[in-house]
Amino acid sequence: MSNASRSERNRLEFLESGVIHALLIAAVLFALYPLLWVVSIALSPGGISTSHGALPLPTHPSLWNFHALLGKGSSARAWLFGRQLANSIIVAVATAVTAIGVAIPAAYALARFDFVGAKTGMRTLLATQMFPAVASAVPLYLLLDALHLLDSRAGLVLVYASTAVPFAIFQLRGAFLAIPVDIEEAAMVDGATRTEAFWRVVLPAARPAIAVTALYAFMSAYNEFILAATLLSRESAFTLPVVLQRYVGEHGAAWGIFAAGAIVVSLPVMALFYYAQRHLVSGLTAGGVKG
Amino acid sequence: MRNRAIFLLFCAICAIAIPGCGEPAKSIVLWHAYRGREESAIELLARRYEEQHPGVTVDLLSIPFDAYSSKLGAAIPRAHGPDLFIDANERLGVYLRDGLVAPVGDALPDAEVGAYDKTSVDAVTLGGVRYAVPLTNKCLALYVNDALVKSDPKSIEEISRLRASLPDDVYPLAYEAPNSFFHAPFLYAFGGRMLDDRGRFAFQGEAAAKSIDFVRDLTLARVVPVEPDGALVTRLFASGHAATAINGPWMMSELEGTVSYHVIPLPPIEAAASSSTHGEMKPLLTVEGVMLSPTGAEREEVRAFARYLAGEDSALLRAGLGQQVVARSDVWQNDLIASDLKLKAFHDAARAAVPMPTSPAMRAAWVPANQAIVKVLRGDAKSVDALEEAAARFADAMRPQPPPPSPAPLLVALGAILLGLAFYAVRRAQNPSFRVAVRKSMPAYRYVAHAAIVIFALVIVPLAAGALASFFAGTETHPLYVGMTNYVRILTARGGPLLGHGSFYLTLLVTVLWTLANVTLHVAIGLVLGVALSRPLLRFKAIYRVLLILPWAVPSYVTALAWKGMFHRQFGAVNAILKALGAEPVSWFSHFSTAFAANVATNVWLGFPFMMVVTLGALTSIPKDVLEAAEVDGATRLQRFFKVTLPLLKPTLLPAVVLGAVWTFNMFNVVFLVSGGEPDDSTDILVSDAYRWAFTRDAQYGYAAAYAVLIFFLLLGGTRLLGKVAGSEEGIT
Amino acid sequence: MTLPHEQLSTSVSVASASSEVSAPATAPKRKLRCSVRGAKKSFGQNPILRGVDLDIEEGAFAVLVGPSGCGKSTLLRLVAGLEELDEGTIHLGERDVTHAPPRDRDVAMVFQSYALYPHLSVRENLAFGLKLRKTSDKDIDERVREASKMLSLGELLDRMPKQLSGGQKQRVAMGRAIVRRPQIFLFDEPLSNLDAALRAEVRVEIRRNHDQLRATTLYVTHDQVEAMTLADTLWVMNGGVVEQKGTPLDVYERPRSEFVAGFLGSPQMNFFDAKLEKEGDRWLAIGEGARIAIGEERFGAALTEGRTVRAGVRPHDLVRAEEGQPIAGNLHVEIIEALGFEAIAHGWLTASGPRVIARLDADEARKAKSGDSIPLAVTPGSAHLFDPKTGLALDAK
Repeated sequence: MSNASRSERNRLEFLESGVIHALLIAAVLFALYPLLWVVSIALSPGGISTSHGALPLPTHPSLWNFHALLGKGSSARAWLFGRQLANSIIVAVATAVTAIGVAIPAAYALARFDFVGAKTGMRTLLATQMFPAVASAVPLYLLLDALHLLDSRAGLVLVYASTAVPFAIFQLRGAFLAIPVDIEEAAMVDGATRTEAFWRVVLPAARPAIAVTALYAFMSAYNEFILAATLLSRESAFTLPVVLQRYVGEHGAAWGIFAAGAIVVSLPVMALFYYAQRHLVSGLTAGGVKG
Repeated sequence: MRNRAIFLLFCAICAIAIPGCGEPAKSIVLWHAYRGREESAIELLARRYEEQHPGVTVDLLSIPFDAYSSKLGAAIPRAHGPDLFIDANERLGVYLRDGLVAPVGDALPDAEVGAYDKTSVDAVTLGGVRYAVPLTNKCLALYVNDALVKSDPKSIEEISRLRASLPDDVYPLAYEAPNSFFHAPFLYAFGGRMLDDRGRFAFQGEAAAKSIDFVRDLTLARVVPVEPDGALVTRLFASGHAATAINGPWMMSELEGTVSYHVIPLPPIEAAASSSTHGEMKPLLTVEGVMLSPTGAEREEVRAFARYLAGEDSALLRAGLGQQVVARSDVWQNDLIASDLKLKAFHDAARAAVPMPTSPAMRAAWVPANQAIVKVLRGDAKSVDALEEAAARFADAMRPQPPPPSPAPLLVALGAILLGLAFYAVRRAQNPSFRVAVRKSMPAYRYVAHAAIVIFALVIVPLAAGALASFFAGTETHPLYVGMTNYVRILTARGGPLLGHGSFYLTLLVTVLWTLANVTLHVAIGLVLGVALSRPLLRFKAIYRVLLILPWAVPSYVTALAWKGMFHRQFGAVNAILKALGAEPVSWFSHFSTAFAANVATNVWLGFPFMMVVTLGALTSIPKDVLEAAEVDGATRLQRFFKVTLPLLKPTLLPAVVLGAVWTFNMFNVVFLVSGGEPDDSTDILVSDAYRWAFTRDAQYGYAAAYAVLIFFLLLGGTRLLGKVAGSEEGIT
Repeated sequence: MTLPHEQLSTSVSVASASSEVSAPATAPKRKLRCSVRGAKKSFGQNPILRGVDLDIEEGAFAVLVGPSGCGKSTLLRLVAGLEELDEGTIHLGERDVTHAPPRDRDVAMVFQSYALYPHLSVRENLAFGLKLRKTSDKDIDERVREASKMLSLGELLDRMPKQLSGGQKQRVAMGRAIVRRPQIFLFDEPLSNLDAALRAEVRVEIRRNHDQLRATTLYVTHDQVEAMTLADTLWVMNGGVVEQKGTPLDVYERPRSEFVAGFLGSPQMNFFDAKLEKEGDRWLAIGEGARIAIGEERFGAALTEGRTVRAGVRPHDLVRAEEGQPIAGNLHVEIIEALGFEAIAHGWLTASGPRVIARLDADEARKAKSGDSIPLAVTPGSAHLFDPKTGLALDAK
C-alpha cells in the first residue's frame, strides 16, 4: 500500500470517528436536555423558572425546594419522608425478590423441560402483556380486599408482582436457554443432584440476567403511583411517587418541590443503573436471545 | 450463595410483614388533599382536638388529588374509607348517587346555620338535606400587581387598555383561558350558564358564543397569553410578567416572597352589559366542606369532630394559619382576620359567586366545554360550531343506559365455551400417548406450579373479571347488565361516522400510527447508537453509555411532564431553540401532527435506551469473522450492515421489538401526560381513550372494559400475524 | 439397510451372550468395570439404540466410534446417567446402576464443549465435584495440585474459564475428571473443538495419562484416527447397534461388514461390484475394470464360481504393478495428492466404474501426472469380500 493511500485511509478513519463522536454527543444532548430542565426547576425556589431561553438555567439557584420537600426543618416531617423512602425501597425490593423467586423455577422448567402445556403457558404469558391494566385495576382492588391486604406493603407487592412475574419469566427463560445444558450435566456427573446443579451452577451462571430482571422489577415497582395511591391509606405507608403526586394538585402545582422530589426518587435508581450497567448488556442479551 | 439468598428472602418477608403501625382502636380517620399551609392548619387542629378530648385520636391522611375521588369510591363501600373527608360541594351529586356520603345531622344543627355564609350552606344542601359542613369558599378573584397597576381596574376593558402602556413581555391579564372553570365568570357575565336547572348542558347559545369570542379577542390583542396552564399563570404573575391574574386563593401561597400585590373581586365586563345584566363576572363557587361517610355519620365523636373543624375557633386558625377563605360569616367580624385584605377580597368575591352545580352531569361537562374554548381560541372553529359540538359530546358521554337485556345469551355462550373446553380436555385425556406425555411432564409441573398459581390468581382472574365487566354498564356500585351493548356501540362508532371524532376506528388508526412511529424510531435510534457504541477503540465509550441510559433511570411520569413543559408554545424550551435557530415557533398542541410529534418525541426519548442496550447485547453475539467474510467479499460498510449485521440481529431483536410494540400500543402515560389527547382528543390512543371512559366521562367502567377486551384481541391477532410474517412464532414467545 | 443391521445386532448379542455364559467357567483375568446389556432407547418415535451390549474391562480404554447419529453419544450419556434407558441394564462394577442418578454412579465425564463452570475459577472448577462429596480441604488441595501438575495447569489455577484458550479449557476439563478418581472416565468427543495440531498433541496426552492412571475409560469419537490410536477395544457403532468390536488392528484388518471396512481407514477403502471367477487355481473378483486376486484360505467355502460380491481393497494395498505382477486394473489418473513420503492417486479404472484411490510412492508420484494410465496391483491377500445383500464380510471364520 502506498503512503498516499495510507494517509488517505487514516484521514477517512479520523473523519469517521469524528462523525460518530458527533452523533453520540448529539444523542447525549438529546438524552440529557429534559433532565437538565428538571434539575433546573428543582433548583429554582418556588419552581418558578423565568428564563424563557433554550438553556436550562435555574433562576436564583437555591436548595429551597429540597428543604421544603424534607419538611422545612421539621424533624417529624423529615422522619416521615425517610420512612416513605424506606417504604418505596422495601416495596420495590420485595417486588423484585418475589418476582424473581416465583419466576426462576418456572422459567427454568420452561427452558429445560419439554412438558405438556409449556407452549400454551408461554402464549398465555405473552397474552397477559397485551391486556391493558386499566381493566384489571378494580378487580385487583377487590382481590386485595378479600385477602385483607389493602393498605399494606404486602398487598402492594402482590399487585406489582402480578406485572413483574410474567416479564421475569420471559427474561429468565431466555437466560436459562442461553446457558449450556452441558455445565448442568457436568455438575450432575460431578456428584450434584438436579437441585444442587441448579443452585450451584445454573443460578450463578445466570446471575447477570437475574440482576437485570430484578432491576426491572425494582424499577417498575419503585416508580408506580396510580395503584399505590389507590391501595394505600396511611401516610406512613405511602411510597414516594404517591407523595410526589401530592405536589401536583387540582389548582396549580408545586413544580419545584415535585422536581426536587423527582431527583431524590431517581438517585437510588441511577445508582443501581450505574452499578448494573455492565451487566445490563449481557443480562439483557442472555434474556433476549433465542426467545 | 444459597444461604445468602435465603437470608435476603427472609429479610424481605420480615420487612413487608412488619406493619407500619398498629391500628389504634377507635380513632377518627380524616382524609384530605390539602398541602402546604392548609395541611399545617388541619394537622394542628387535629392535635388540639386530641388534647381537648383525651382518648380520642385523629388520623389524618393526605391523599394525592388525582387519586382522591376514585379512592373514596373504592374504599368507603368496603368500609376501608375515612369517617370523614374534606371535599368540594360539586362532587356531592356523585357521592350521593354512589352512597359515599350521609347527612351531617347534628354536625351542623339548624341553630348554627346562621353563623355560616348562606351561599355556602346552600351549596352543600341537596333536596333540603345538608350533606357537608362548609369549611371554606374557593372562588376566583383578581390578583393585581401593585407595581404595574396604579388603580384598581373597574372593568375587564380597563385591564385590556393596559396593553398599550405595558412592556411587550408583560401581559395585562393572565388566567387559564382554556379551562372552563376560569371561563365561567365570562360566561355568566354574558348571561350564560354551564348547566340548566335540570342538569342539562347549557354551555351553548348566544351568551356562550359571545363569551368565547370576547376571550378570543383578548388573546388576539395579546391581553391574555395563549394557552397558559396554572403553573404558567403563577410563573408570569410571580415574575412580574402579568399585571393582573384571575386565580383562586390557592395561588397566594405560591406568591410568597415574590411580588407585591393585592386582590379584588372580579370587575365587570362592559361589553357584556345589557338590559338584563350589568356584565358582572360571577365566578363559580366551590365550597369545601367536611363530609361524613355513612359509617362515620353514625358515630357521635365523628360528628363532634366535624362540628369542631367547622367551628369558630377552628375557622380562626384555618383563616389565620391556613389562609383559608372560611365559610363562616361570624369569623369575618374578627379584626385580625378581616384585616387580611386579600382573604377578605376572596370572601367578598364568594358572595357574588354562583355555587358550583352538584349534579353528576357537571363531571361530564368540563371536558367538552374546555375543548370548545380551545378550538375557538386557536381559530380552528367558529364559536357557534364549537359549542354545538361540545353539546353533542356531552350528550354522547351522558347517554342514557340501554335497557338491560336478558343475560341468557351470555350465559349460554359461556356455558358452550366451558363445555367445549371440557370436551376437548376429556378427548385428549383419553389419548394414551397424551397421558404418557402428561406423566412425563410431572417433574416439570413441580417447578411451574407456584408460578402458575400466582399468575392465575393475580393476573388471569383479575383480567377475566375485567373482561366480564365489559358486559355491564352503570357505576361500580350499581352495575347493570347490558349484554353486548358496549361492544356494539364501540364497533358502530356510537352511531356516528365510522371515522368521525372519537370513533373506535379513528383512534385505532392513530394507535397503529403511534405504535409504528415509535417502534420504528426506537429501533432505528437504538440500532444506530448500539452500532456506534460497539465500535472497538471508541473513546469515552463508558461515559456515553451511562449518559445515554439515563432517560431510562428517571421515573417516566416526571420526565413526561418535563417534556410537556418543553413543548409549551410561548415558554417551552423547544420553541426557544427553534427561535434561536431562526425558525417560527410552533403551537405544538393545536394541530394533530405537531401534538402527535410531541408525544412521539417524548416516547422515543423514553424508549430508545432500552433498544440501544438490546442492540449492544445482540451485537456481541455476532461473530466477527462473518463480517470480515462480507468485507472480503467486497461488501461496502452499508451493505455489510444491511445484508449481514441486520439479518443476524433479527432473531435477538425480534422478541424485544414485539414486546416493545405491545407496550407502546398500551403506553398510556405519555399520551395522557404530554398531549392529554390535544387537540380535541385526536391524539388519544385506544388505551387513553379507555381510561377517559373509565374515569372522566361519567365513569363508564364497563365501556372502558370493552375497549380493553378489544385492544387485547387486536394485539393478540397482530402479534400472531407479525409472528407469521417475521418468521416462526417461537421466535417471539 | 435396516435388514443387515438387525441380523448383525442379533449376531453380536449372541456372541456376547455366549461370552457371558462362558465367563464364570473360564474365570476372566480382569473383571468387568462397565457392562451394558440390551440397551434400548428412543427419543419420541425415533429409535436411537436398538439393543446394545457393551463391556469394558477394568483399566481398559474403550472407544465408541461411528458416524454421527449412530447412538454412540447416547450410549455414553446412558452410562453417565444423563439419560435413562427404555430397556436393558447397566452395571458399573458389581452395582446395578440402571436407575441410579449420575451422582451415585461415580463416573467422571469430559464434555465436547468442556462445560467448565463459567462463574468458577480453574481451581474451583477442579474442586467442585470433590466439594460436593464433602472431601476434606486438605485432600482437595492435594488432588488439585496433583492433577494440575499432571496437566501442567499450574499458572492457570486462578484464572476464569473465559480467560483460557481452547486447549487450556480442554486440559481443565480433563483435570476436573482426574481429580475425581472415578470408577470410569467418560469422554464425549473431547478433541473435536481443537485444531489439528493441538488435537494430535492432546491425543497423545490422553493416552499417556491413561497409561499412567490405568483408569477405565469410555471414549466417544467420530474421528477414526483417534479411535485407532487410543483404543484398547474399539466398538464400531452404526444405526443404533454395535457393528463390530475388537482391538483396533483386528477391526481394521478384518472388518466384519462393508460399513466397518468403509468407515475405518483413510483414505477410504475402494469397493467394486464384482463376480467371483476361478482362473486356474486362483480366485479372482472381476468387475468394473478390476481383476482382484482373492486369498482362498481366508474365505474358504464362501468362494463359489459366479457369485456376485462386493470386493474391497484399501488404497494402501493398491499400488503400481511391478514387472510380471498380475495387473488388477489400469488407473486413469485424475489428481495426484503428494504427501511427501508417498502420494495418493485419484482416478478410475473404467469410465463407468467407481472412483478409485491408489497409493504411489514418492518417486512415482513425481513422474506421474494427470491423464496418465498406471497399471495397478493388489497386495496379495489384502482383498476383502462382502455379501452385496447383507453387507457382511465373507470371511471363513
